[in-house]
Amino acid sequence: MLKRKWLLGVALLLVLSLVLAAGCGEAEEVVDDDDEIVITVAAGAVGMELELTRDLAEMYSAENEGVRVEVLDTPDMVEDRLGLYLQFFEAGSSEVDVYQIDVIWPGDLAEHFVDLYEHGADEVAGDHFPAIVENNTVDGRLVGIPWFTDAGLLYYRTDLLEKYDLDPPATWDDLEEAAQIIQDGERAENPDFWGFVWQGRAYEGLTCDALEWIASNDGGTIISPEGVITINNPNAIEIVDQAAGWVGTISPDGVTTMAEEESRAVWHAGNAAFMRNWPYAYATSQADDSPVKDLFDVSPLPAGRSGAGAATLGGWQLAVSQYSENPEIAADVALYMASYEGQKYRAVEGTFNPTIMDLYEDAEVLEAAPFFGSLYDVFINAVARPSTVTAPQYSAVSELFYNAVYDVLIGDTNAADAFEELEIDLMDLTGFDAE
Amino acid sequence: MTSNHDNASSKSKVSSPKVKMSNLAKREERLAFRLLLPALLIIAIIAFYPLAQVFYTSFTDRVFASGQETNFIGFDNYQQLLSVHITTLDPVIDEATGEIMIDPETGQKVYERPLDVLPREPSRYREFNQFSLFGNRYVVGATDPSFIQSVSNTITFTVVSVFLELVLGLAIALVVNSKFRFRGSMRAAMLVPWAVITVVSARMWEWMLAPSRIGMFNALFDWMGVIDSPIAFLASGTYQLPAMIAVDVWKTTPFMALLLLAGLQIMPEDIFEAAEIDGAGKIRQFITITLPLLKPAIVVALIFRTLDALRVFDIFQVMLGQSQYSMASYNYFQLIGNRNMGLASAIGVIIFILIFLFAISYIKMLGVDQE
Repeated sequence: MLKRKWLLGVALLLVLSLVLAAGCGEAEEVVDDDDEIVITVAAGAVGMELELTRDLAEMYSAENEGVRVEVLDTPDMVEDRLGLYLQFFEAGSSEVDVYQIDVIWPGDLAEHFVDLYEHGADEVAGDHFPAIVENNTVDGRLVGIPWFTDAGLLYYRTDLLEKYDLDPPATWDDLEEAAQIIQDGERAENPDFWGFVWQGRAYEGLTCDALEWIASNDGGTIISPEGVITINNPNAIEIVDQAAGWVGTISPDGVTTMAEEESRAVWHAGNAAFMRNWPYAYATSQADDSPVKDLFDVSPLPAGRSGAGAATLGGWQLAVSQYSENPEIAADVALYMASYEGQKYRAVEGTFNPTIMDLYEDAEVLEAAPFFGSLYDVFINAVARPSTVTAPQYSAVSELFYNAVYDVLIGDTNAADAFEELEIDLMDLTGFDAE
Repeated sequence: MTSNHDNASSKSKVSSPKVKMSNLAKREERLAFRLLLPALLIIAIIAFYPLAQVFYTSFTDRVFASGQETNFIGFDNYQQLLSVHITTLDPVIDEATGEIMIDPETGQKVYERPLDVLPREPSRYREFNQFSLFGNRYVVGATDPSFIQSVSNTITFTVVSVFLELVLGLAIALVVNSKFRFRGSMRAAMLVPWAVITVVSARMWEWMLAPSRIGMFNALFDWMGVIDSPIAFLASGTYQLPAMIAVDVWKTTPFMALLLLAGLQIMPEDIFEAAEIDGAGKIRQFITITLPLLKPAIVVALIFRTLDALRVFDIFQVMLGQSQYSMASYNYFQLIGNRNMGLASAIGVIIFILIFLFAISYIKMLGVDQE
């Protein structure tokens, strides 16, 4: 009898302490609210991203009394950022209300986001590039409002091309030749100089870079939109073998450890003649304290056998969490940041490509980023990664692909063997047939 | 609980009025049980429940952060991780001449490609590595070579780094144990690497190992004229593990030294004086007195460091990312990158079992339980 009472006592104590613990958590939040609604935006911090998102957050807070928008800094690398987001989703956390999501994620993550069409997005969706809106629409639900788009560009040093009497390269062979000439010439004074820097680390960025090489050489897009595995073809093999030849010749050995910001660091210091990067690097390179200010320009990426360069479609959307406590206000914040004014601010200050078509004719935008006008075709014709056709397995597909390319780049194997294996791996993973 | 219980029952055996004492013993036992119950409950909630959860999840195909239905799939995850297949590679016969084909560049025999030899059904085996034995060429295939590689990386890392840390740590401990000026500040300075947050020190080393002259090592080697072009330490397979080991040795040697220093400080001076009088040299003293007396401290330090090194995560994750894994960073990749929670749980269980085996064998080999 005594024992039972005693056990009951212990159980009660435990339950009480749990309730108390939970109660404390809640109490804290109530204090935190303080009549003010806090909306947290998880945003990137590549280049000037974070600064500009903070600015927009402040503008919204100033215009809307009772709402405070906070910005959560997230990792640069796509994989790391996804990892962070997934932990919020697994916990059903309401800590973050608005997520900045990659163009390859809507299919995979749709279940965690609200339908923005129910929160007023139907009025503005028509202003954005239709292809991106379609990408963000899953089963008729708009899971993210397009925020900025991205496409791979070739950055080149105008002063050095002039010095060595060269033209901006139209093909990969031209690029190789020009990079070698400039590198040989510059090395005399600057032993840290390299011809061409890009993103060769084993991560999503390498998928983007390699897709550009392959697409420009008429080698397909890894898996076609119809669900056929096309990667094991001679054109793809040829160009990837060629790229492996750059490592240690016109590109540093360390290019296989570089993501966007690492390659930009080399370029920014004036130690590279060419760089493959996204448009954001334009604003940072053109900043007042930049050593390469006014010494560079951008062009479409070089062409291979297809006769035209290809740019991988990138870009980020704003999505509102299913677990948000104030989805209505969070959606309003997302739409505000992705509005004409919001995108214009980011385009002018940080050369982030707008997704609203009219902005490409806006005089202020074109003054800040002249290439928006001249390279408009590159942006609207960018090549999409096979994320829709392979959803929800895209990240596994991409991992197999970038690891195969990475093995070729570091000289562990050649592209023919690597892609033969990759083809089998992709067949096992996706169940698709090969060509 | 057990010790209390043993005491009580042994008392009851010795004493003569058997029935009465055994009642007392029972009461004592019940009291002990009640007193321990809250602690047991808490342990059950915070340790056994999550552990059981991981065990259970490792038998399912659960997807991380998704509402997808979870199925029970038995040992499939373990099979996927641990299946290894070894097979012979036959030399390729040149059809024109009927002789074994020789690579004209290297002068070596040409063998079949592993891709053509390794089984593909029911699941595909990929090449892990090749070796030659008694004139035959063999290929080792695994269904998940990254995992097998991560296990071998982790064990190599653990053995080499813990050994180096022990040797260096012991040397440092002996130095700072002797009397000299500024000994106090020397001891404090010694601890700096240990005090730096691991992720921060990993970033720091990443810069020092940078593949251009920005990196300290490349700048140094370049200045000494040892290298022609910068080495990409973190990209090349040859340097990746040594780099990880270097970072870990730099960081945790102070911890090792600290543990050993504590052992050195409790040693009675008079034994050494006696040995001195008996004419034993410094080396003899070290081998016959210091080392045996230091053994308990060494064992504790070794167990600490080995178990710690086996679950190394941060430096691999920060510096090598997806290009080379430790067991723990592969676990993270499967969970977060591939959202494969079932498989990740199976990896967790395997790590748990491995660490458990290491701990048991240490205790058995070094006879800790007797001391």
